[in-house]
Amino acid sequence: MLLSAEKVAKHFGSFRAVAGADVAVAAGEIVGLIGPNGAGKSTFFNCIAGDVAPTSGRILFDGVDVTGAPAETRARLGIGRTFQVPTTFEDMTILDNVMVGAFLRHPRRGEARDRALEVIEMTGLKEQAGQRARSLGTPGRKRLEIARVLAARPRLMLLDEALAGLTPSEVRRAIELVRAIHAQGITLVIVEHIMEVILTLAERVLVFNQGHVIASGTPRQVVDDPAVIEAYLGRGHGRPRRARTP
Amino acid sequence: MILLQVIVDGLLLGAVYALFSSGLTLIWGMMNFINFAHGEFVMLGMYVALLAVTWIGGGPVVFGLAAALGLFLLGVVIYFALIRAVMRGPMLAQILSTFGLALLLRYAAFWVFSPNFVTLPRSVLSGTLRLDGILLSVPRLAAGLAAAALTLGMHLLLTRTALGSRLLAVAEDRDAATLMGIRPDRMQAFAWGLAAASAGIAGALMAISFPFSPAVGETFALTAFVVVTLGGFGSVPGAMLAGLLVGLIQGLSAYWLGPVYKDVVVYGLFVALLWLRPQGLLGAA
Amino acid sequence: MTRRGWVVLAAALLAYPWAVAGSDGAAFLQDMGALVLLAAIGASAWNILGGYAGQISVGHAMFFGAGAYVPLLVYQHWQAPPLLGVPLGVAASLGIALIVGHPTFRLAGHYFSMATIAVAELVRIMVGNWDFLGAAIGLQGPATGRGWYDLTFRSAVPYYYIFLAVLALLLAVTAQMQRSRLGYYLHAIGAGERAARSLGVPVRRYKLYALLLSAGFTSLAGSLYALKTGFVDPDSGLGILVSVQMIITAALGGAGTLLGPLLGAAILVPLQTATNTWFGGGGSGLTYVIYGGVIVLIARFEPGGLLELWHRRAAARLARRGRVRHAA
Repeated sequence: MLLSAEKVAKHFGSFRAVAGADVAVAAGEIVGLIGPNGAGKSTFFNCIAGDVAPTSGRILFDGVDVTGAPAETRARLGIGRTFQVPTTFEDMTILDNVMVGAFLRHPRRGEARDRALEVIEMTGLKEQAGQRARSLGTPGRKRLEIARVLAARPRLMLLDEALAGLTPSEVRRAIELVRAIHAQGITLVIVEHIMEVILTLAERVLVFNQGHVIASGTPRQVVDDPAVIEAYLGRGHGRPRRARTP
Repeated sequence: MILLQVIVDGLLLGAVYALFSSGLTLIWGMMNFINFAHGEFVMLGMYVALLAVTWIGGGPVVFGLAAALGLFLLGVVIYFALIRAVMRGPMLAQILSTFGLALLLRYAAFWVFSPNFVTLPRSVLSGTLRLDGILLSVPRLAAGLAAAALTLGMHLLLTRTALGSRLLAVAEDRDAATLMGIRPDRMQAFAWGLAAASAGIAGALMAISFPFSPAVGETFALTAFVVVTLGGFGSVPGAMLAGLLVGLIQGLSAYWLGPVYKDVVVYGLFVALLWLRPQGLLGAA
Repeated sequence: MTRRGWVVLAAALLAYPWAVAGSDGAAFLQDMGALVLLAAIGASAWNILGGYAGQISVGHAMFFGAGAYVPLLVYQHWQAPPLLGVPLGVAASLGIALIVGHPTFRLAGHYFSMATIAVAELVRIMVGNWDFLGAAIGLQGPATGRGWYDLTFRSAVPYYYIFLAVLALLLAVTAQMQRSRLGYYLHAIGAGERAARSLGVPVRRYKLYALLLSAGFTSLAGSLYALKTGFVDPDSGLGILVSVQMIITAALGGAGTLLGPLLGAAILVPLQTATNTWFGGGGSGLTYVIYGGVIVLIARFEPGGLLELWHRRAAARLARRGRVRHAA
């Protein structure tokens, strides 16, 4: 197992955002994480990436216990992540943004630059490489976040709604990008609301509800699981959203 | 007996610290913003009191109200002219804005009022009460009690009134408050007015018994920082307790170590606190 | 900046004392030139932490003060050449930086600024009551030099060139930093700590690097000040206005840019000299009214400083010209 989260829980006061989640991800997988808003997906991501310390439980990455390790150490070990709300470095150029990621494995400027340009090419940001990040729209920012992480050569990438807010054609391009990333041997965990994306990309889906993993299986199995339908219906969302055909 | 005197005097001054610090903590709690010019608001309150006494005459109620009103208006104007815009800007802009404002106000006061120390006329309020062997200066007693009452009033305003719950709603979640029909801009402007007014009255209250100059603001700003840190950011009751504590510590260290060390002890305490409990002594872990 | 731009700037700075030598106010202008360079050194040093890494320290006076006090201290107590105290001052500053850095870097934004003010004020009050350090009166350097090593010159010109050499070194270090991983990481920390961490930036360690570099050079600025004026007291060496001067100089020109501090110094120092001359002794108060006003205006309208303004206008002009060409 590349990643195993054992009984990970995160409480904020009396609120249990994540209540003992067991999640295991094998190298080379694409795992989808779905669930209603507030189900604890982002908090779970934050626990894995080291942004918040879990209240209890254990996180192993490639056999190493990283439960107490800070985010930067986990990045060094090979966990990369994007943020739900993009956190691009606004005043820096796109190239410089990506170089910050590239410096992790390439301390020398020249090599970092080469790596950054390579990734920029792959993510389709070449045209804008010299512009400041603030000039990008939402799709551009999401791409930039992916590029920045990719430049750091992660083994596991956590994508937190990296495709939300994109138009159907942008979603299609983004799906191609995720496939290309996967083809490089990078394991992916994707939080996504657009079911079609999950159905297209994920080999396995985990469903979060109220901090628990309530179902797992292939995308089709999960969508027909009564517990999953209940979780969505209970919150008045109907079946998992099928908005926007990609 | 002298020790008791020191304690009482320290607590009375501490109540005034609590008053102006509660303004600083209110702004922090609402906007995650520290007003570096808060000490200058206190200083301006003192000069407004002086001007009111000279021009209008009357007692502490008159110049206290004048200071409150004058500073309230200043706070609102500063919010709309400066703070609203810099809140959207980078951190550097946020910090520089009130920092520049502090310099501007302090040295403008130098320019207008001269750097010399002045006092309010003694006729405003004077006299002493002898109580169980302690000498209570009437101005200090009045200032301490008035400040305590006003801080309590502010706490009640925030927790018991519709206006207060609207303020807290904005502090809690700006967007949600907007959806509820609250105009966050107005509430934040009001908070700035309230904070400045608390500093203004506190200044006026201290002006009765202490000489002052345009330079005093810096010390008050730092005192307020210490009180707010000690009391936990955003908590008015915390500021109240911490204000009393800081007044007491200052009084005792001046008594035991000598007057120059009163600030050294307080700042030292502050630095130690940052080291050990950055979330504040009374704040939650 | 282009290579030619650098050559022109360097030539202009090197030629300045000589170029004004013929004028009526030669001594005055040369002295002002030295003060501009000194202010630029202080602001550039602050800029490493405050501008690049985005940690707005308002307590840099403690490093400036350490640099100013130690050289005069070794002279006053042991008649050693003040120059000997310069590295000791740097060492003292680095020591203070290590002690102060640990607790304060846990704090973010406003809170960090506030903490640095408190620490610096604590240092100022303590020094002001410490007889060994001259208490409120301060310390004096040698009135007349016993030899070249005392670095006491009647003319400002030797100081000018010493300051210029230090500034050149500092700018070279900063330029090198800007191009290296350190510079990128500091910039990223300033732009967003959480994102920086997620990309593997060890935030606390890099903040400490920035603080050490910044403190060391700030200390050097303090030493140069003490060598030139031959005097330091708690207000001139450790007062909050010393920190304010560094911040406003950097912010006016452009915090987080290589040449912003120099630009800021070239504007503010003559401005300060002018207000002092026009308004006499009381002018110093007015200087800070203007300073305060300038800071407020920068914060409100152009947080990137004048260089940013210039870049934006240049970009807009370029875009306009592009459109015209397309239209034609």
